[in-house]
Parts: sequence; C-alpha cells; structure tokens
Amino acid sequence: MIMPAGHQQLLLPVRPWFIWFSLLLTLLLDMTLNMGLSGRSAWAPELVAVVLLFWVVHEPQRVHIGSCFAFGLLLDVHQSALLGQHALAFCALGYLGSRLERRLLWFSAPTQALQLLPLLFAAHALQWLVRLLAGNGWPDWAALLAPLTETVLWPLADWLLLAPQRQPHDPDDSRPL
Amino acid sequence: MAKATVDRTAPSLFRQGLSPLSKLLLLGALSVLLMVLDTRLRLGAPVRAAIATALTPLQSLALAPVRALQLGGGYFASLQTAQQEAISARTELTRQAQRAAQVEHLSQENRELRALLGMRERLSVKAQGAEVLYDAADPYTRKLVIDRGETHDIAPGSPVMDGYGVLGQVTRVYPLASEVTLLTDRDQAIPVLNTRTGQRSVAYGQPRLGLLELRFVAASTDVEVGDLLTTSAVDGVYPPGLPVARVASIERQGEGGYARVLCQPMAHTEHSLQLLVLAPLSNPLLDEHVKPLVQPRPAASRATKHGRPGQEAPR
Repeated sequence: MIMPAGHQQLLLPVRPWFIWFSLLLTLLLDMTLNMGLSGRSAWAPELVAVVLLFWVVHEPQRVHIGSCFAFGLLLDVHQSALLGQHALAFCALGYLGSRLERRLLWFSAPTQALQLLPLLFAAHALQWLVRLLAGNGWPDWAALLAPLTETVLWPLADWLLLAPQRQPHDPDDSRPL
Repeated sequence: MAKATVDRTAPSLFRQGLSPLSKLLLLGALSVLLMVLDTRLRLGAPVRAAIATALTPLQSLALAPVRALQLGGGYFASLQTAQQEAISARTELTRQAQRAAQVEHLSQENRELRALLGMRERLSVKAQGAEVLYDAADPYTRKLVIDRGETHDIAPGSPVMDGYGVLGQVTRVYPLASEVTLLTDRDQAIPVLNTRTGQRSVAYGQPRLGLLELRFVAASTDVEVGDLLTTSAVDGVYPPGLPVARVASIERQGEGGYARVLCQPMAHTEHSLQLLVLAPLSNPLLDEHVKPLVQPRPAASRATKHGRPGQEAPR
C-alpha cells in the first residue's frame, strides 16, 4: 500500500487483552471519579463513553455495540440511574461511531475530537430526554459541560491508548544485518 | 464431516454477524424494555441486584483511592482542628448526657401515664449501624449507598438517621448493599410535627437547595424561623420524635394565601459517614390509612390542581 509521506505512522497490531484491560481500568477510574466527586457533579465526563467510542472507532471488529450495551448497564447500576439509560446512550454512541470510523481516522486527534463532539452531545441528550420522559426533570445546567469535557479528553485517550501500538518494532538481535 | 473449505464457509473476515443498525435497533429496544420494567412495572430489581452484587468487588477497589485521599487529608489536618473537634464533641456529649438522664425519668413517667390512660405501650425500635460507601452519581436524585444489605436484614422502607436527625429512607436493597434516598430528594416526603405548636404537616425534598419545603401552609399559620420539626409517626414508618429539620425561612407572598416555608435538615446530608438504620414501624392499624401519605406518587405530589400561586418550586 502506498502511504503518503508525513504524519501517518504505521501502527503495530493491537493486543486484544489491552482493549479489555483499558476498558476495565476506565470503568474503575470512572467509578472512582463518581465516588470522589460525591455524586453532585453533572459536568463530570463519562470516561467509559470516551474509551468505548475510541475502541469502536479503532477496532470495530473487536468492540461493537454489544460491549457498549454491557458497559452502559454496569454504569446504570453503579450510578443507581434508570436501568437502561446509559446502555441506550452508549449503543447509539457506538453505532454513530462505527458509521464515522472510516472517515475519522484520516484526521489528527484534535480534529477527530471536534467531529466527535456532536456524537457525545447526542449521547447525553438521549439520556436527558429519557429522564425527562421518565419524570425526573432536568439535572443541572452543568450537565451541558459533560460532552465538552469528554471531547477534551479525546486527544489524551488517543495518545494513551495508542501508545503501545506506536512503540518501535523490536529488532531481531540475532539477525546478521 | 465435510471439510471447511473456502467455498463452504466464509472466512472470518467476512463473517460479521448482524449489521450495526440491526444491532442498534435490537439493543435499543432491549434498553427501552429495561427502562419500562424499571419504572412502570418495578421488575428491574433482580437484574439490578445481580449486577450490583457482581460490581461490589470492583466498587470496593475503585473506592480505595477515595478512602486513601480522605484518610490522608485527615492525617495532615492540623492539630488545632483536631483539638477543636474533640472539644465540640465533648460539649455535645455533655449536653446529650444531660438530656439522656431526663429521658430515663420521662419515659418512666410516660409509661405510668399511659398505663393510667389505658393506652398502648410505645414501640421500641431496633436499630443497626451502617457505613456510607458512596453518594450515588446520578445527578437527578439524592441517594447514598450503605454497606448493609439483605444479608444484614435491612428491609426496604427502613428509616435512616445520622447522629443529628433523620436522613432518609432505604429505597432499594441489594444482597450486600442498600440505597438510601435522602430527605432532600425530589420525590421524598416525610410527615412532620412542629414541636412548638403541635401542628402536623408534610415536608418535601428540595434537591436544588438541599433543603426541605412545607407545602400548603396557610399564610396565617403559626410558624416561626427556628421551629424544630420532628417525625410525627402518623406514617407508620418513622418512629415518633426524631428531629427532622429546623425552619430556615418563611416567605409570605402577597395575594397567595400560602406561605413558602423552607427548612434546613438536621441530619448532615452532604458528608455523613456513620448512619443508623432503624427497623420500620409496623403498625397495621395505621398502615392501610396513611401509607399513601408516606410515599406519594411523583405525579400526585407534583400536581398543581389546587392552584397554589406563589408556590412554584424553583427549577
């Protein structure tokens, strides 16, 4: 394949265990964040949503909507929110992510983040709508900041989660040349 | 057995299962079904309990850094703060010891008077201690999760209090943990008694302000800032006489006819750690009449059919 000269770097293949390890670690981090902020902060980013979206975009063969649903359900129970609220939002996010995936990877990380902002906003808007229909009203105006904080975290996620694949190919020392 | 050749089965590259759109529709429908089960039919409890139990080890792992931070913060707090806290705790203890001494005498007197009047004995309430694990992260509700559950005989509906007053009510019970809805939650209501005037009313949660509100209080009612409200025991859930809130502000709007009374909860709703879970009173006589008052349906409690000008809750 002919690669354009420039910023594009050939990545090593991803290790499957790393995907699930990073998702689990993010779930733990998300829980710690939730519990540390004592549950009164609607602006806090859903770290799990960012990492799920990342893997849906980068590894659509391995992480798909089913995983999004499962992680959403876990978050629902952990946050004692409406059962299925996060699951629905993450499914929609996963679907939209998989639609964008072919185009998105041609851009740099900050541009990707900008393009993903509407997706993240839609996922949150779906949750607001569902809770409104369930009769819980509007959480807080700070909730509008949540998609923004998630967007800001995208380049960081890109850097951290692709770091193992960016490592230089280990050379074979026993080879004569 | 037929050999798996390229012309019989597709290579894994082309085997992709359902298309993303059909997956989305399927799982979206499943989520909506779960929501309906959870809200309308109240059948989401087993799913929730199973997932919550599976999540417990993960949660305790995730809680470790939070606890470490809290402990570390306490460790580096100055000696002066610690001494001040010790002094205030001792003062509080002395004050309560004096009251406790009175209680012995008063309960003796009460028993004798009740015997004279031929009334029933006051019920004594079982209680057990519990520790707060974390505040639930859902920004729509005000809930806590405590470390006692079904295995510790926690019953749904049990009143919960901290060292200062009533904090809320157990609303969901998992095998190893329970959810406590705070009094300041939007859909929570508690019948109260004004100890100065003996007037009964119902206090509703005001989550935005972190306060309680007395609704439908006529502007001419005798309420003063600083009045203590206690549980009135008409609900058959909360034992009588527990401190609930203190009246913080009263606004009497011109033509309204109703006063807006806001009360500060006595319990520390924001950062309490040690709680007491009481067994709910089971008074079959009261139950059938007064149960609807305790947990009003959200729709009923939000109805504005009485036309209460100037009574709009702040959004």
